[in-house]
Amino acid sequence: MASSHPPPAFLSRTSSAAGYANGAGLQHRRSLSTIPPSRPPRSPQPLTGMTPEMDRTSDPSFKGKTPSTGTGASSQHSSLSASAQPRFDAAARRPRKPRSQYPRGSTENHVEYILVASFDIDRGPVMEHQYPVAITGDEHMLAELMLPDQAHVRNQDWTIFFLHKDTSQEEDDAERQAKEERRARRNRKRDRARGIIHESDDEDEEGDLDDDDDWDDDGSTDSEPEGIEGPPLVYVLNLVNTKQDKTVKRGAVVKAMAICTRHPFLHIYKPLLLLALEEYFKAPVPETLAMLYDAVNEMDLSLMPKLSWLERHLLQSSENKDLFVEKFEQMIEARISGTSGGDVDRPLDASEPPPPRPNILRSGSRAHIEGHAGYVVPRDTHEFESKVMYKGIPIPVKVPVAVMPEIVGDFSLIKLIQNFSDSHSKSPQSFPLHPHLTTNGPNTHPIIVLINALLTQKRVIFLGHNMPSGEVAEAVLAACALASGGILRGFTRYAFPYTDLTKVDDLLRVPGFIAGVTNPTFELHPEWWDLLCDLPSGKMKISSKIESAPITEGLVYFQQQNPAYANLVHNSSSSGSSSNDVTGDAAFMADILRSITTRAGERVVRAKWRAWVLKFTRIAAAFEESVYGASALYIGHDEQEATFTGAQGHGYVWVDEATKAKELAGNVTRIEGWRNTRSYYSFIQDIAQLSTIRPLRGLDLAHLHDRLRTQRLTPMQSKEIYDALAKHVRSYDEICLLLSVAPEAQAGLFYVALGLFHKDRDVRFRTADLLERVAEHEAGQHWWRMLSRFEKLAYVRIKKEAEAEVRARLEKEEREGFGGGGEVDKRVS
Amino acid sequence: MGASLSISSLFGKLFGSKEVRILMLGLDAAGKTTILYKLKLNQTMTTIPTVGFNVETFTYKNIKFNMWDVGGQDKIRPLWRHYYSGTQGLVFVVDSSDHNRIEEAKTELHRILNDLEMSDCLLLVFANKQDLDGAMDPQTITTRLELSKLKDRPWFVQPAIATEGEGLTEGFGWLSDNIKKMPKYGGK
Repeated sequence: MASSHPPPAFLSRTSSAAGYANGAGLQHRRSLSTIPPSRPPRSPQPLTGMTPEMDRTSDPSFKGKTPSTGTGASSQHSSLSASAQPRFDAAARRPRKPRSQYPRGSTENHVEYILVASFDIDRGPVMEHQYPVAITGDEHMLAELMLPDQAHVRNQDWTIFFLHKDTSQEEDDAERQAKEERRARRNRKRDRARGIIHESDDEDEEGDLDDDDDWDDDGSTDSEPEGIEGPPLVYVLNLVNTKQDKTVKRGAVVKAMAICTRHPFLHIYKPLLLLALEEYFKAPVPETLAMLYDAVNEMDLSLMPKLSWLERHLLQSSENKDLFVEKFEQMIEARISGTSGGDVDRPLDASEPPPPRPNILRSGSRAHIEGHAGYVVPRDTHEFESKVMYKGIPIPVKVPVAVMPEIVGDFSLIKLIQNFSDSHSKSPQSFPLHPHLTTNGPNTHPIIVLINALLTQKRVIFLGHNMPSGEVAEAVLAACALASGGILRGFTRYAFPYTDLTKVDDLLRVPGFIAGVTNPTFELHPEWWDLLCDLPSGKMKISSKIESAPITEGLVYFQQQNPAYANLVHNSSSSGSSSNDVTGDAAFMADILRSITTRAGERVVRAKWRAWVLKFTRIAAAFEESVYGASALYIGHDEQEATFTGAQGHGYVWVDEATKAKELAGNVTRIEGWRNTRSYYSFIQDIAQLSTIRPLRGLDLAHLHDRLRTQRLTPMQSKEIYDALAKHVRSYDEICLLLSVAPEAQAGLFYVALGLFHKDRDVRFRTADLLERVAEHEAGQHWWRMLSRFEKLAYVRIKKEAEAEVRARLEKEEREGFGGGGEVDKRVS
Repeated sequence: MGASLSISSLFGKLFGSKEVRILMLGLDAAGKTTILYKLKLNQTMTTIPTVGFNVETFTYKNIKFNMWDVGGQDKIRPLWRHYYSGTQGLVFVVDSSDHNRIEEAKTELHRILNDLEMSDCLLLVFANKQDLDGAMDPQTITTRLELSKLKDRPWFVQPAIATEGEGLTEGFGWLSDNIKKMPKYGGK
C-alpha cells in the first residue's frame, strides 16, 4: 500500500535531483552569485531574466507568501549547481495547502462518553448513567476513580485519569478498512489527475470523491510517529460535587460527572462540566448527559489548520502570536470560496487572479469587537477559538493548535518547578545517593532527581494530602511533559494523574509509573514507590527500598576508555557542590529559576525543558557511539552523509574533547538507566520513522548550527558549513527544519546570519540568498524580523553589491557583444 | 543539620511525645468520623459519609496520636488492609443499636485482627450510640464480637456516646496507658 503511494513533492527532491543534474550540466551557468530564487524554471537558456526579479528580491522587506510562479530553480554559484534544484522545487518551497485538524463531516467525535457516578451511602461508589452507551471495562473501578478520596470534605473537586481502552477487534478492522479505502480512493484520484488512470477505470468511485480528502493525513508521510504504544488513550476529565442536604439520609449527596475524550485538550470542557453537573443535580436522567454530549460534539474546529510535525515544533517553541496565521486565513478563504477539500493537488497559480479577499478579521480587533466579523482569525495562533452552545449559551473554548505528544490537559511546568525548588533553595535537601537519580551528588536539585527518575522509569508518586485531587493530577501531567519535552514518549501512557488505594494492586503491576494520590498512606509504603514527591511540603523522598542500579557494560567500557574521567562517573564521594557541576544541571536549573523569577512565561520554560531533553538524547547518542560504537538514536550517517558534500559530522557538539568526556561522565549513569526503558525504545522507533519523513536526511542541521554556535572555527571550516546550509536548505520543509534548530528562544538565526560577515565573498552572497529564502518563508519571516539591525544592514549591503556586480557584468557582456544581452534588455524593459 | 535532628529526637524521648498511629475502623455509619472530630476539635460535627478516609493528629496524655478514619461501606472495606502496616492501635467502632449487623461487624473485626501486620496492635472497641433505644451493653458487645477468643492481645470495650463525647476520654485513657507499656513505645 505504502509503495503505491506517490511521494509528496518535497520528498521527491533527492531522486529528481539526479535527473535534473544532467540537464544542469548542459546548461552551464556562468558564475553568478545571486540569481533570485523566484526565477521561472522553464527557460533553458543561461543568463536570462535575472534582472527583473533582482529588484524585487533585493528588497529585504519582501516577504509573505512565496510568489506563486516558479519559486524554485534558483541557480547557485556554478560550483554548486551540480545538484541544483529539481523542477518540483517550486511546489516544494510552498507550504502544502492547509487541511483541517478536525474536518467537518468526520465521524470522529470530540467526546466519546459522558458518565455519572455517585457515592451511595450503603454501597460506596456506584455508576449511575453512561451515555451514549456503557463504556466497556470495569464500571465499578471507574466509579471509584470518579469519587476521589476525601471528596466529602470539599464542595467541588476535579480529577483526571486515563483509560487504556483497547478498541475491539471489529472496531479496529472497520477503522482500518475505511482508512484504506479512503487512501485508495485518494491515490486513484491523484493518479487520474496526473492522467495515469483512465477516467473510465473507476466510475463507481465517482460518487464520493469530493468528501475524502479532508479525512486523514496526507497518507502517512507527514504524520508524526504514532508509536508502538497501541491505541490512543481515553482521557477522562471528572468533576465531583458534594452537596449538603438535610433532607437525605446522612446529610449529603456526592455526585460526579465525567467527559471521556481522545483529545489531549480535555481541560477545555471544564466550564461545560460545571454547568452540566449542576443540571444533573436538578434532573438526574440520561437526557442530561445526552444534552452535554450533543453540545460538545457539535463544537466546530474545522477551520483549525493541521500542521506538519516540523510546523508544530516551531509553533510550540515560539512566542510569536502570528506564526502561521496565514494558514488560518487560507482555511477561511477556502471555506468562503467553497473549495474546501477539493483541489488538493492543484498548485496555486498566480496566473489566476487571486480570489477577492473575504472579510476575515483578527479576533480582538476593533472590527471584530464591533461585530462585523464573519470569520475570525485567532488573536494568538497557538490557540484556536471556538464555542460550544450549551442550553443556548455560547461557551467559549480555546483549543491548542500544536498538540505535542505527552502534553495532556492544562498544567504549569512553572508551578511544578517552583513547588519543589522553593524549599530546596531555603534548605537544600540531602538525598541518599542513587546513580540514576542523584547525578549531581546528594544535593542534586529535586527537579533533576525527578526527571532522572522519569527517564530511568522509576515509580514516581505525587502526594497531595489535603489538596484537591485536581492539583495532584496537574502535577502528574506536568511531570510527564517535563520528561517528554514533546520529544520522548511513554510517560502519559503509564501515568495515573489521580489514583487511590483501590487501584494500588494494579498500579504495582506497572513497571515504572507516575501517579498522583491524596492519601498519605502511600508515604507509609516505601515498597510501593521509588520517588515520592510531597506537594504540600515541596520535598522529595527517595525510597529506602529502591532497587540499586546495576553496574552495566556501558559504564565499565566508558571508565576503561576514559580512565582520566572515570572518577567523575556518579561522583558519589563529592560534596555535590555547584563548583562540580559535571552535568551542567545545576547551571541549567539556576537558569530556569531565573527565567521564572523574571516572569519569562510558561512557553519559555517549556522550550527550555524541551532543549534539555533534546540535549540529553543527543548526549546519549554520542555516548552510545563512543562506547558501543553505534547508536540507534541517530539515523542518517553512513553513505547518506556522503551526498552532502562539506557537511559531514553529526550529533551533539562540544567545545573540545575534554568537555565532551566530562559531560559524558556526568551522564553515564542516567543514560545507562535510560537505555532499557519504554521511552528509550519508543524514541528509537520514532527516530526511525521520522527519518523517513524529515527533509534533508543524512544532514544534521542541528550539528552544523551548533558548530557555528559553540566552536571556534577556521574561516575554511565555517565556509563549509555556510555553503552546506545555503546549498541544501531550500524547500519549505528544509527551511522549517533550519528554523527548528535555531529557535527564537536561543538567538534565532543570529549564527546563520553571521555568514554575512564571512571573509569569503561567496559565502556572504550565499548566506544572503539563504536569508532571503528564509525571509520569504511563512514561518521564516518572523525569524528574519528578529535579526539584529546590524545583520539586516549587512544583508542589504551584500544584496546591493551582488546586484551591482551582475549589472556590471551584463553591461560588460553587452559591450563585448555577447549573445543574449539584447534579449535581457528587452525583458528588462 | 545533623545536630538539630538529634536534639529533636532527644526531646522526643524526654517528653514521650512520640507519634502513635491509630487506625479507626468499623461498619459504615458506626460513628467513626464523629469520634475523630470530637477528639480533635472537641466539637460535635454533622458528618457525612467518608469518601476514602480522614486523618488527624492530636495530643492526649502527652501522646501524639495520628489517627486514621477509613470509610466503612462494604465495597471499600478491602482497602482497610493498606492502612495496617505501622498501626499500633486499632479503634473499632460499633453501632450498639444495630443488632442486625453486629454479626457482620464481628466478621470484619476478626478479619482485621488476623492480618499479620496487625498482630501486635492494641484493640479498643467503642460500643457507640449507647443513648439509642435497645443499645447493647458492653458485655453483650464483648460476647457478640467474640473477644474472648483473642489471646495475647490487650483489648478493652468502652461504652460511648460520640455525639456527647461520653466515654471517649476513658477509652483513650486506656489506650494511652497500654501504649506506654508496649515494648516498641519509646524504644529504639
